[in-house]
Amino acid sequence: MTQEEGPPTLSEITCREIVQWASAYLDEHVGDERKRQIAMHLAICAGCETYVKQIATVRDMVGLLPKTVEHPSDSHRLRHAFAVHARRLLSGG
Amino acid sequence: MNVDASTVTEFSSHRMVASRKLKLTQSDAVANEEIALLARLRQGEDGAFDELVMRYHSALIRMAMGYVADREVAEEVVQDTWMAVIEGLGRFERRSSLRTWVIGIMIHKAKDRGVREKRHTTFSSLESVDDDSDETIDPSRFHQSGEWAGHWALPPQPWDGQTPEKLLASQQAVNAMYRAIEVLPKTLKEVLILRDVEGVDANEVCEILKITATNLYVRLHRARERVRQAVETYLEGQSTV
Repeated sequence: MTQEEGPPTLSEITCREIVQWASAYLDEHVGDERKRQIAMHLAICAGCETYVKQIATVRDMVGLLPKTVEHPSDSHRLRHAFAVHARRLLSGG
Repeated sequence: MNVDASTVTEFSSHRMVASRKLKLTQSDAVANEEIALLARLRQGEDGAFDELVMRYHSALIRMAMGYVADREVAEEVVQDTWMAVIEGLGRFERRSSLRTWVIGIMIHKAKDRGVREKRHTTFSSLESVDDDSDETIDPSRFHQSGEWAGHWALPPQPWDGQTPEKLLASQQAVNAMYRAIEVLPKTLKEVLILRDVEGVDANEVCEILKITATNLYVRLHRARERVRQAVETYLEGQSTV
């Protein structure tokens, strides 16, 4: 599995492999050698650089999508149940 | 169609990774808040339970929708979850975070409900189709043979000037993303919601879903790729208008 030293080449890892590794790479969940291969590839492959950037953008956007705030339809019942159980817990029951 | 390689000056992985690190720090803060909240819950403090519900109810509904595919049933599942949380608080031993425990209860109840309603058959068939597929992206976008086999034949086009903020300002783009997430198979939807929507860290997602990190990233990436394709399709539509 050792790689020869020398100028980076695209063939060390294919674009198709980069696609598979993109999310793990962005989360830093790849080994050092794989990380090096990916970083080298990204430095010289515009298509993959674009792809990984887009996945990072998607990751960030999904977290920022407006979220509907939901409330339980029966919050009184839940509050009451909590109060009853809390009393039981505190009394050691 | 091809992007000029000379325009690639500096790869911005540091920025991309930094964004994730910020989320991890936030995740630590959430963990600390949880410890304090749990202590208040055990004291039966007024408002502590409301706070717990406020914190996770929306996320639980979103996740439950991935299992039962019916809004009313999802609400019932989450309501049952809260009752189980109340009843189990005294026994909770903090072997996991409070969040992991609550979500775990919900998943258990949602799966149970899905089984009872025989909806799992549909989900299972979707899952198996998806899990068995090795392809995250259309293989025809890569050269199939020759010197460039495995490299882009149809590389993605840069989203020039499209920052997350700009895209999120477009209702059409937001709707396209919502639709893409909504139709994800359950196994992909649950990881995307936990990891990217709720910001749960990877280890905790694996613990909640009882999956390996490798499995997590395969699923997470497929989910993100589908959302990416939705954005790509939206932008292509924009450029042809």
